[in-house]
Amino acid sequence: MIKITNLEKFYRTEEVETIALNKLSMEVNTGEFVAIMGPSGCGKSTLLNILGMLDDPDAGSYVFNGTEIAHFNERKRADLRKHNIGFVFQSFNLIDELTVFENVELPLIYTGVSSADRVKRVEEVLDKMQIMHRRNHYPQQLSGGQQQRVAIARAVVNKPKLILADEPTGNLDSSNGNEVMELLTDLNEQGTTIIMVTHSEHDARYSHRIIRLLDGQTVMENIMV
Amino acid sequence: MFKNYIKTAFRSLLKNKGFTAINILGLALGLCACLLIVFYVVDELSYDRYNTKHDRIFRVNSDLKLGENRKDYAVIMPPLAKTLIAEFPYVEDAVRVKNAYTIHVKKGDVNMVESKAAFADPSLFHVFTLPMLTGDAKTALAEPNSLVLTESTAVRYFGKTDVVGTTMTLNENQNFKVTGVIKDLPKTSHFNFDFFLSMATWEDSRSNAWLRNDYTTYVLLKDKADAKKLSASLNPFLYKVSGDQMKKEIGMSYNDFEKSGSYFRMDLIPLTDIHLKSNRIGELGANSTIQYVYIFSAIAIFILLIACVNFMNLSTARSANRAREVGVRKVLGSSRSFLVAQFLSESIMVTFFATIIALVFAVGLLPQFNQLAGKEMAVTSSTLIWLIPAAVFTVLFVGALAGSYPAFFLSAFQPIEVLKGKLSAGFKGGGLRSFLVVFQFGISVFLIMGTLVIKNQLNFIQTTNLGFNRDQVLVIQNAYELNKETKTFKNELTQLPGVTSATMTDFLPVSVNRRSTSIFFKDATLDQKNSIFPQSWEVDTEWIPTLDIKMAAGRNFAADRVSDSSAIIINEAAAKFLGYKNALGQTLYKSNGGKTELSNTVKYEVIGVMKDFHYSSMHEKIEPLIIRLAENNGSISLRVNASNLPALMSQIKTKWAGFSPVQMNYSFMDQDFDASYRSEQRVGTIFIIFTTLAIIIACLGLFGLAAYAAEQRTKEIGIRKVLGASVSAIVGMLSKDFVKLVVISIVFAVPLAWYCMTLWLQDFAYRVNIQWWVVAVAGLAAIAIAVITVSFQSVKAALANPVKSLKNE
Repeated sequence: MIKITNLEKFYRTEEVETIALNKLSMEVNTGEFVAIMGPSGCGKSTLLNILGMLDDPDAGSYVFNGTEIAHFNERKRADLRKHNIGFVFQSFNLIDELTVFENVELPLIYTGVSSADRVKRVEEVLDKMQIMHRRNHYPQQLSGGQQQRVAIARAVVNKPKLILADEPTGNLDSSNGNEVMELLTDLNEQGTTIIMVTHSEHDARYSHRIIRLLDGQTVMENIMV
Repeated sequence: MFKNYIKTAFRSLLKNKGFTAINILGLALGLCACLLIVFYVVDELSYDRYNTKHDRIFRVNSDLKLGENRKDYAVIMPPLAKTLIAEFPYVEDAVRVKNAYTIHVKKGDVNMVESKAAFADPSLFHVFTLPMLTGDAKTALAEPNSLVLTESTAVRYFGKTDVVGTTMTLNENQNFKVTGVIKDLPKTSHFNFDFFLSMATWEDSRSNAWLRNDYTTYVLLKDKADAKKLSASLNPFLYKVSGDQMKKEIGMSYNDFEKSGSYFRMDLIPLTDIHLKSNRIGELGANSTIQYVYIFSAIAIFILLIACVNFMNLSTARSANRAREVGVRKVLGSSRSFLVAQFLSESIMVTFFATIIALVFAVGLLPQFNQLAGKEMAVTSSTLIWLIPAAVFTVLFVGALAGSYPAFFLSAFQPIEVLKGKLSAGFKGGGLRSFLVVFQFGISVFLIMGTLVIKNQLNFIQTTNLGFNRDQVLVIQNAYELNKETKTFKNELTQLPGVTSATMTDFLPVSVNRRSTSIFFKDATLDQKNSIFPQSWEVDTEWIPTLDIKMAAGRNFAADRVSDSSAIIINEAAAKFLGYKNALGQTLYKSNGGKTELSNTVKYEVIGVMKDFHYSSMHEKIEPLIIRLAENNGSISLRVNASNLPALMSQIKTKWAGFSPVQMNYSFMDQDFDASYRSEQRVGTIFIIFTTLAIIIACLGLFGLAAYAAEQRTKEIGIRKVLGASVSAIVGMLSKDFVKLVVISIVFAVPLAWYCMTLWLQDFAYRVNIQWWVVAVAGLAAIAIAVITVSFQSVKAALANPVKSLKNE
């Protein structure tokens, strides 16, 4: 599904040039659950942003589903992104002014799904995440675990092929965290590819494979059994 | 999709109640003020447009130059109207209107004094659109001794409007037949009369004299006729028809007249220009000036700009709080145009609410505003025709204008930057926002300075030494009622304790009173080059002491000197115009009018020079004035020195009642004087009110902005406090940025305001100079306003517990 080759990304400030990704190559197959680990500043988030098409690389190749997209402009990337990728953030990033239902509905609006279909699909996914009873609440009325479930519901409502999760349990206690990891595992078992950035060895154990980064390079790959 | 925009917009507005309130209130205030001014300006511009033929109606003006004297008239000679109709096929009709000033109308046993009466030709109702309720418009004013009333006047006298055929008694013994009742004249008419008397009643109207100007004359051109063509033909035509009269009476041809450097020129002014652009001798009513329309339009635009700037500033300032939302939406697939549309619909929604509030308030405040502006504006169906589209346009335009910057600014956020929390750095720069604050405060400083200068000038007018004493002078306006007994009455009044002196004449130095000019020649050659065309007034011996006018040289008229009947007193301006070093003993020849020859003049000797005093508006220079002894019983002015004025008044009234059954009309000279500056006073008050509004709106904006700046720097403030910063240091730090901007705005605004106000002052012949303290006050006021506004927020931020703000991160 994803093949990146010699990917490079620099950050420049006035005096210093920092290499975030240094000729990084890796491959993720459809249906895989991959965890990316490494110390702060190793390039994990940069990699996730590029994989999620929120950012573009300075050099190298990024093939997504057989299409080279490293040179895509923002609009083309946004278009590809909204149909194929779901995001889960550490801080949930729900919109405070919208209810649970409306937050989950948002990606469907942007991909032009009809109103009747939207209701059906949102209800379906809320049901699956067991937060149907909270559908008319606002994010600030929910616990952290519930908020993250809404965020996951929002990430999957468009049936994306790939979910990118950036420390999804970072703001949760361990029982809520485990619940979220179970949800992601379920999704993966139903066929969604997942790439997750995490600091937690515990969470990483849910994945099939751990890629460890240091200074923008892959230093080790562990296959989980 | 659209529903989603509205929903998000609505909730976002609800969530930030304080912000929304400031935003809607500021905008509503601005729009309301703007709307009231628009009402005012529309009203000013709509004068005389009620006439369906207004684009074809013109008034004939004339300019006269005689030697070094220049006069501009709004009136023209009596036979011109009918001659124009006869000679120019494209002149459809013409009408003459002549002010009848005061008439007495019998109502029961009482004589009512009516001051709004005029003679008019029968064509009045063909040229002007004055709908007749009863009577025949074609013939109403055809016969002598017929008159047409306005609706409210008919009701006032008869309690009904169906009064055609009734007889009214005017001026004691003239019987007039009511031949028509018209609707009241619109307030937006440059003339306003209650009585129209048939011109045929007025003997003089049949005069064939071409060398006088005393009839206001309007011409109605045929459709598509060229006014310029008529305008250009007027003078050649006049020379043709009146050349003989000119030679016979003045003794020279128009050619020679022009060669001597003098001229007489006629011109046309469009009917709709009269109210704002005409201020000539013989106007039928007091007109306004286009200058005020400009000034008020400028203020309206300023206020609207300030309100829009507020909106932009507050919205972008708030962007930090909305950045995450933008980021999330972008990550979820929203395109930039979606976001732009979202923010625009939000700002259009705010504008919509603000417009509704503004409309409600503007309409609600209209009566008060009318009182202030001296107008009778009302919201009618014809107002709605422009008001509704204007409101829709305002909502869309102001909404889009005010929302465009935040919309494009917010939608341009890079999602990863935002989600990483990098935004605050980008927010702090806000170059445009700083520019907008400078702009806003620049306008405020400009308006403060403007207000101060206007206040100063008005104050100057009111307190300046006019050269005569207008306090404690009682004027009995209708003394002429007593005819030959006026003088006896005056003499009896002088006997009253509390009356210091009394003078009997119509000519008074308050500009609402009578004026008259005559030609005087310096020597017996009667050369026009050595002529003067001054105000020429008839007074008595008590005039100078009663008005407390000071003499520069010579003496006042004396009752016991017979020779004083051929003596004159001139003012300093006349002495200067005539080039006299020593005016005393000089002789002047006063023309009796008509042919220029010595037998047609009277010789006068100058026996005194009065110090100049202001007898007309401060807009104009003091012109030459010559007074001479003559009996004029127009009015009586008394200098009173009464500890008990009511008692004195009742004594005077009792005396009057012994002479005449008519009510005595009186006023005090200082009040008359104030009345003549009422339009300036009104403009001044309106200006001050709207300036205050503009400043309040600017403050609202700054208040909101300061709140967000403080919020934005919460963490910084927390760290500084932990490190030991005092509250005052933090307040200083937060206020400094804004004060810097205000100082910059002062630097820009002061020279501009100085320049503009100097231009405004040019219009006054007598004016104040703009003083340095005006600048200081305006500048300090702006800084003080800014500091106070900002301090509210800064102090709050500085007093907050740092632990709280740091824990949030």
